[in-house]
Amino acid sequence: MLRFIAYEGGRLVLGLVGAAFLAAAVASAGHLRDGVFPFFVAWGERIGAFAALRFGDCAISGSPILTELSNRLPVTGELVVQGAVAALLIGVPVGFAFAFDGARRVAALLVRLFSAVPTFCLALALSYLATNQLHWHAQHDAEGWLYAPRFLLQPGGALLPVLTIGLAGAAAIQAALRRVAENIAEAPWRNQMRRMGLSRWEIEWNLCLPLFLGALLAHLGELAVALLSATAVAEWVFSLPGAADLFVKSIALQDWSAAGAVLFVFAGLTLAAAFAGRCTAQPLTSPFSLS
Amino acid sequence: MSAIGTGGIADSRVQDICRAIGWIGLGLVAVTVSLSDLLAAAPADATGIGPLLSPPSTAFQLGTDILGRDMLSETLHGLTATVRTALPASIIALSFGALAGFSAARMPAPLAFGLRWLADIFAALPTLLLAVLIVGLTARSWLGVAAGLAATPYGFVHAFDRARRDAYAAHAEYARATGLSRTALLRRDLVYEFRAVLSASAARALASVTIILSTLSFFGFGAEPPQRDLGLMIAASRPYFLHAWWTAAYPALALMTFILFARLAAGLEESEPP
Repeated sequence: MLRFIAYEGGRLVLGLVGAAFLAAAVASAGHLRDGVFPFFVAWGERIGAFAALRFGDCAISGSPILTELSNRLPVTGELVVQGAVAALLIGVPVGFAFAFDGARRVAALLVRLFSAVPTFCLALALSYLATNQLHWHAQHDAEGWLYAPRFLLQPGGALLPVLTIGLAGAAAIQAALRRVAENIAEAPWRNQMRRMGLSRWEIEWNLCLPLFLGALLAHLGELAVALLSATAVAEWVFSLPGAADLFVKSIALQDWSAAGAVLFVFAGLTLAAAFAGRCTAQPLTSPFSLS
Repeated sequence: MSAIGTGGIADSRVQDICRAIGWIGLGLVAVTVSLSDLLAAAPADATGIGPLLSPPSTAFQLGTDILGRDMLSETLHGLTATVRTALPASIIALSFGALAGFSAARMPAPLAFGLRWLADIFAALPTLLLAVLIVGLTARSWLGVAAGLAATPYGFVHAFDRARRDAYAAHAEYARATGLSRTALLRRDLVYEFRAVLSASAARALASVTIILSTLSFFGFGAEPPQRDLGLMIAASRPYFLHAWWTAAYPALALMTFILFARLAAGLEESEPP
């Protein structure tokens, strides 16, 4: 196990180093118009600056990028966490329900139908339903989103972006669960365990459930990417001042330093989630080599 | 959970039917796109064709938008713009993703794992943001390339892992032990890859790049008038879609139908991520 963690830790460190190099390259993109050599010089300088946590100033607010990120990341973090909770609440029951043999074929069709809906269409559809059917206020003052208590006071407000992210994340969760269901459906050890005298319930509870949990954890990196992607769309549709919103606006303004910093943070979050997921999934899935 | 069991012939029959529906649907979309100039009553981006924000009626089956454009004609032109960009983008995604990943897995270990590491870093970024970055670094005219390249890392990683599994699976070890050369094995795996997986991968890539393309346009990084695609049409309807639903609903429906056909054409197996 320690060897596995060390291996995964090495992968994480290498990934973070690569992400830092990529972010520095993005931050130096403005020098590309001067030629290849000036770009490489700027890239080298940026790597040094990143190592000293000097990211430069943000073109949108004029404040240091670290300050801007510290203002915006809580909004993104709050959305991702709430979205992840919603994704688990929706995706796990749906994934388990659709893992049954009889439901799997129907589920596959339904999932194709649902996965054909781009996240921005989903967000707009939710806005329409909330406004016209439930009479909620879909448009909000941007500053209002920064305060968590307002989510509790105005559930109609924050619910839409969280639901958008949750539904997008739920699609990833149920897909991971159903993939494992298909993998273990024909596994020879199921029959072997029955012959050894284990009841069907014991097999499902003691052997299959850990595999399902392990699969969920093993795909934590993919889930993080799905949640971050959906958060980017939700921030854009619902005008939330989060980090993904900063990234998109920075690209529009060609503020490469801010774009590079946001990219590094997002890549770091995904890589860390993938590392944590793989490490916790290993004890659950290793006896069957199914991850 | 307890009834997780046999799939068998019925499953494969359902798969085949769904694939057939998907490919027939994509064929119909292709016919519609190639005849869009004939089918559309008005040219692309022609304003003042009808009254402003007129709901669906016999005169304007899908209504009109805020500038009096016929929504049916605009949706047809939008679908054409989307499909025409999505096709080359999916070829890029397939070539630099699935096929490159498959080939990279057979390269010498240091090079193979170096490429896998690089793909892992890009795959750690949300695809949409990667596409926005590529458009920002290049130009809007590179929209298809951006969408195709953004979808590449994920496909690369999955194809790489699958190819490594195949190359070092028990049957491959047995084949090598019986004297079969590595080249013969590679040829066999390539034939399998082309025959069994390529069409599904192509359809899956088409669905993915269409979502990326339309979202890019929705964000304002994609198509520009008069060549409006479906994403841009939906983005343009945002200020008034809450009381004029048809301005967003029909382009969204066209977009989702196209993506659904591509998803169905990719098959229903759970072994690959959707």
